[in-house]
Amino acid sequence: MEGRCAVETLAEFGFSGTSCTPKVKSGFGIYVFLCMGSDEVYVFNTQERKLTAVLQFPGLVTDLVESPDKQLLYVSCRSGVYCVSLSFLLSRAQSSLANTSSCLAELKVSSEFLVVGEEGVLSLLLIDSVLLMLSQTDVSWVLSLYKTPKQTQSSSYEMLSSFTLPLVSAFVHEDELKTRMRRRPVLICVFHGQTASPPFSSTSSAEAASPVSHFHLKPVLFKRLFGIDTALIKSPVILCGLPDGRLCFLPLRLPGSRLRVLHSLEQPVVFIGASVVMKTGPEHAQCLVAVGELGRVLLIKMDKGGSEGECSRAGFTEGCVPGPVVCGCVDKRHLYYSTGSDLLALDLSKGSSGIEGQECGEETSAALQSPTSLNVCRVISLAQPTCSPAGEVQLLGLSIRGQLQRITLPVWRKDARMSKLPQGRCSARDLLSAIGDVYERASVLKTSIKSKNQTLRHLNQVLNISFLLLASTREEHFPIQEKPIRCHAMTKWSRLLQKDSLNLTCVLDNSSPYVLERGWTLTIAAFPLSCSPSAGGESSSTNFSFQFCNLHPGETLEVSLPLAAAGDTYFPVTINCSLTFSVTSLLGEEEVASFTGLQSGCISLPLNTLTVDWLHVLQVKSSTASHKNTTSQPNNITTADTIQAFVRSHRIWCSGRGDGGGGGASALKQEQYSACVRVSSELLRDTLVLKSSDLDPQEPMLAPHNLCISLLDWMLSDSLGGVKMGHRGDEIALSSPVVHAQGPNGDTVKLTAKEVNIGEESMAKESLSAIEVRVESSSVAAVCGLHHAVLHRVQTLLQRAPKRPASTKTVQSLGLRQALQRAECLLQQIQQSRISAAFGVGESTRQMTHSFLSVYRELRENPLLII
Amino acid sequence: MSNKIYHTLSLFDKWVQENNNLVNKWKQQEGGGDTLSRDQSQTHLKWCTSEFETLLRKIQGVPPLADHTQLEVSVVYNACVCFTAQSQFTEAELLLKQATERALQMAGNFPVASDPPVLWRTVLKSVENTALNSCVLYLLCLQWAIWLATCQLKMIEEFQEELTSLVETLPDGVWDDRRSKARGKSFDISLLVMEPRRLVELLQICTSIAQGAERLSEGHSSEALSGLQIASSLPAPRILVAYTHFLSGSCLAHMSRPQMALQCYRKALETDFRCVCALYQSMLIYRQLGNTQAEIQALHLLHSTRMLPSATEPALACTHLLSPSSLLRSQSLSSLLSVPSALSVLHNLALKCVLHGRVSEGVEHYLDLLAAFHSEDHQVHAEVPPLPRLTELYLEAGTALLMAQRPADCMALCDEVISTTLELLPEKLILEELEQRNEIRDVSVEGEDRVAMLLWTGAAYLLQGHCQTHLKDWKQAVIHYTRCINLLMKVWFKKRGFQPQIPSADMIVKEGTYLSVLQKLKGLSLAGRGISFTQTDQLKEALRDLQLSLQAFPECVGAGLWCGEVLWRLGRRRMAAAHWEKTWTFSAQSSLE
Repeated sequence: MEGRCAVETLAEFGFSGTSCTPKVKSGFGIYVFLCMGSDEVYVFNTQERKLTAVLQFPGLVTDLVESPDKQLLYVSCRSGVYCVSLSFLLSRAQSSLANTSSCLAELKVSSEFLVVGEEGVLSLLLIDSVLLMLSQTDVSWVLSLYKTPKQTQSSSYEMLSSFTLPLVSAFVHEDELKTRMRRRPVLICVFHGQTASPPFSSTSSAEAASPVSHFHLKPVLFKRLFGIDTALIKSPVILCGLPDGRLCFLPLRLPGSRLRVLHSLEQPVVFIGASVVMKTGPEHAQCLVAVGELGRVLLIKMDKGGSEGECSRAGFTEGCVPGPVVCGCVDKRHLYYSTGSDLLALDLSKGSSGIEGQECGEETSAALQSPTSLNVCRVISLAQPTCSPAGEVQLLGLSIRGQLQRITLPVWRKDARMSKLPQGRCSARDLLSAIGDVYERASVLKTSIKSKNQTLRHLNQVLNISFLLLASTREEHFPIQEKPIRCHAMTKWSRLLQKDSLNLTCVLDNSSPYVLERGWTLTIAAFPLSCSPSAGGESSSTNFSFQFCNLHPGETLEVSLPLAAAGDTYFPVTINCSLTFSVTSLLGEEEVASFTGLQSGCISLPLNTLTVDWLHVLQVKSSTASHKNTTSQPNNITTADTIQAFVRSHRIWCSGRGDGGGGGASALKQEQYSACVRVSSELLRDTLVLKSSDLDPQEPMLAPHNLCISLLDWMLSDSLGGVKMGHRGDEIALSSPVVHAQGPNGDTVKLTAKEVNIGEESMAKESLSAIEVRVESSSVAAVCGLHHAVLHRVQTLLQRAPKRPASTKTVQSLGLRQALQRAECLLQQIQQSRISAAFGVGESTRQMTHSFLSVYRELRENPLLII
Repeated sequence: MSNKIYHTLSLFDKWVQENNNLVNKWKQQEGGGDTLSRDQSQTHLKWCTSEFETLLRKIQGVPPLADHTQLEVSVVYNACVCFTAQSQFTEAELLLKQATERALQMAGNFPVASDPPVLWRTVLKSVENTALNSCVLYLLCLQWAIWLATCQLKMIEEFQEELTSLVETLPDGVWDDRRSKARGKSFDISLLVMEPRRLVELLQICTSIAQGAERLSEGHSSEALSGLQIASSLPAPRILVAYTHFLSGSCLAHMSRPQMALQCYRKALETDFRCVCALYQSMLIYRQLGNTQAEIQALHLLHSTRMLPSATEPALACTHLLSPSSLLRSQSLSSLLSVPSALSVLHNLALKCVLHGRVSEGVEHYLDLLAAFHSEDHQVHAEVPPLPRLTELYLEAGTALLMAQRPADCMALCDEVISTTLELLPEKLILEELEQRNEIRDVSVEGEDRVAMLLWTGAAYLLQGHCQTHLKDWKQAVIHYTRCINLLMKVWFKKRGFQPQIPSADMIVKEGTYLSVLQKLKGLSLAGRGISFTQTDQLKEALRDLQLSLQAFPECVGAGLWCGEVLWRLGRRRMAAAHWEKTWTFSAQSSLE
């Protein structure tokens, strides 16, 4: 029936999302080669209508080209260019068919077929015996020429020369790579019209002999475009369309030639071809056609000389067709291109069909305005059209679903143009189906617009939140309390199935004006600062993520997570809170998969960092019970626990001591480790009073005894850095400056605060009153951890202290000097033992550990006072 | 007992082992270097470099200890050699700087200056007469290599003293010292990828060559000559010795002593036949001396060496790690060493042969040249100096063919030129008068010079006319000459401030401009037509053309003589005699000049 295309599906292949443009190519008469952006090439026999073989290459296949006279197939992939001969392929395919029951011959192409080991080849072209490859480096495009051997057997591919063309702008290009499919540069070869038999003769033999990417151009146009020297020696010219829009050419045999830019389309070049354009007349192509991805069409043909004295010159006519153009091909008169939703045909002969002069260009661009729809959708790759003896044009296309289609176009008639449908003969059924098609398409479009709007609104919220969070992280000094979206936490010991475990309750507080919508996830990562020896020396982090639906301004989200079981000693733990947004929730799986640049599809924005240290995880025994036996303590420490604790601490102690020490006499007596921090009372008074005065302004100056208690109280209860101890809220305040508590590993620890006077002997009156906080325990780990935690608290205290004029009291200069000397001594000691350890001379590991421990303990004995 | 097990794997020994493994692996690879492609060896080199660097980082993690200097310096040396071989000079210099600073620390001093020369002087002074001295000298070698490769010859001159002392001490002093020390100890010494002695020898001769080239380009030939003559007796690869001879020759040529220069070039070629530049320069000297036969001979040789398969690979490429080519990178040297491509040499040869009476030989060369353009697998290189335009080559070849009495072939070539250009010729062309000698050429949109194109076509018609004359087909000759004249008449000349006009005879034409070529072509074609008319007894037309020819191109002797002839035949004897006389005196004048 006239006006309709016959589409015949030849085969179906699964089609997966790919990073490279797929390619269909017919070759050797009856075969069609397909590469669809994977590491496989399908060989399809169009006569028998079945898949002959599947070639599997070691990497992603980027391009393929066949050598018709030698029956060879060159395939480029990531690792290089491979060469497979057709006869070998067919024989292997048959033998494997005979051997196995499967109906498909899958051939693995190994490195023995590798002919050129050039990496990253994107496009191939074969001209006579010269194989060209185009690849891309960081800074330039590289076109390399290799000479193929005369005999098929020999494998020496001699490199003839290589040409480079600098990348226009690496940045833009990279951006493109991320956002869209990687487009293959287009390579074609243009011959001077007189060299060989023209390819467009209708005999099928000529068509088979000339590869599809070779065109014979009209001599005048050839000379005009590529120079008379090129024309004089009839050198073939390589035309190359790059993804950056440039059209470059290179005369192949001209001495001193280089890659030069002919024109720029300013959008990725999808297709270059040449067409005879005129129905009658010479058989050489009259017109070069280049098509850009966004629909720009460039026609290059000879303009007739206009004004006197002017000779004929090459005319560059640019026009636009409604894009996007996915693929294209030309035949004698028409340019066929697919937009993905429709296949369209442009009549190139319209503009130049006789009328000469200046209007010629205008008319051509007018012709570009009215492409004819062929009503075939989803074509993503086209092979060179063939013309049957009856005058029917057949196209081979690959649809987005992986269907290989043969599209037979209706016979073109001079009188009946495609665009004007003959109304009289159109049946009602056709019209109805057309209406149905349009309706379907429209409704699909409507829903997609709606969902896109939704997505945009959503994305706007996400962007607002992102900027808010990024701004607050950039300002380092932004106090945690003032961050618009923040986390704070509470620790709590709980007992389940006879096991103590520490739970952390995290509260996400949204005080920003934006809603945290679907798609956001609260991610909490806990990193122990040091690692437990059982973890094999690698610090392990635990991640928790909580999806939530909607968090409106002012709302909070509370989640709780297990932080540690009893016995884990690797505190302090750093808690990193972050908000993660997944693009998947916005777009859905398939769309995200098609964005190759987006690896994870997630945006992660850090909120704030919390630290859970030893002071947070202490289980404080009430002061009244502190003198009683441990078994009767309210914290329900069973005897077994105590024994366990004892054994563990003993083990630590033992390994610390080493059995090389000899005496087992002290094994029964537990060694007490201790560390202390001294803080000047004045500082404490200032800061703590300042703090408590908020609550009780008329309270007098704290007595030293009270000061001790309030210091301990503050240390144990304050929500430093957003973390709070959960269970102490309802307990009464401490009544004595001694606190007994149980650490997370079950060791008992004692915290004491007492007032001491420090003064240098020489000047007694310059003495300072200070509070000494002492940490004592039988476990080294506990002492270390607590000491660290206490120091950390004091540090925040110092930051909080009001600025005052410098104290007139002399700094303990003598003590300072001593301390420095001691530190230097210790540093030397450490270096000594490390070097000797590295070279394996001297002490054994056990002695080493011992010496390190003693150094550590000395370090803890810091006599300095914090003012 | 258990200590012993630990001991066998002490870190120091492990590092030495690691270093030696890497060096051995490299040496193995270098030994079988021919089988591997360039790419593969490059990747291997890259891998080696990163391994050495990692090892070095481990070693430098420990504070500087005197016991491990040997090891550390060896690894620094190896890493730096690898970096330099890959032309990563900044990385190599950074490593060197770190190493020297550590050496200073070992010697008990602290680094003060960051300026390399100052740093080196302090280091050399502070380690003088200590065990460290030998190690520091190794590092100095590498610094030398880097300076040379980055063409910092000033720096090398500044350190001349230290470097010469390095040459004297290193071969016998340091290396043996290391050996004896190593024998005393139980563990084996750390190996090096390249023997320092070989490196120093290479550096010495390369420095001489680079300095020579630099001085030569600055015009201090005699200074350069003395340095190069000393260098020519140094132990070195053959090609480098050949270069010293070659450069000496260039110096002598600059000092206008061509015969001695030729001697030096010959010596260079005798030392290493790959020193093609010597052959090229000798050819230029023969040309300068006017010894055409020798020049042609030299061009012959040059062409045949360029056609050898070995000629395509550069002479300096070397399987060893640090090749001379990576050290000799100065611009002045590479311009001295450059040799035109085979095609360019062939063209020169052909032209010389034709110009100096060896026409048949010249024709053969021209045909070879044209065949090369049409052959499928000739290599496309950027030509320095560029070949003339292909159309001009065709016309030259056509002329040669005509001279060799092969008019039919000449016609065919001219046909090709005409068929290529004809469609592109403009209907009318205006040539503007320009004050400057270097004309701004009228380049059209497609990048072709339209005037040149017209002149090429004209020349091709003229040649065809000559061919027909040669065949005594006077009618055809007239047709071709007429075509040429018609074509040339399309060119109008525009004087500043005047309307464009057809150029007339009374204009003063500067030599070498398009206009002069145009007038010459016009004169010749008119003369040709006149002669053809004379042969067919159309004497009136002949007289007109010959006189016009003399107007356009007064120096045309043939036209003058023929004009006399025609006048004689027409019976205007007195005028004929006057014409002949004028022409004779004119030709005598020009021959005197």
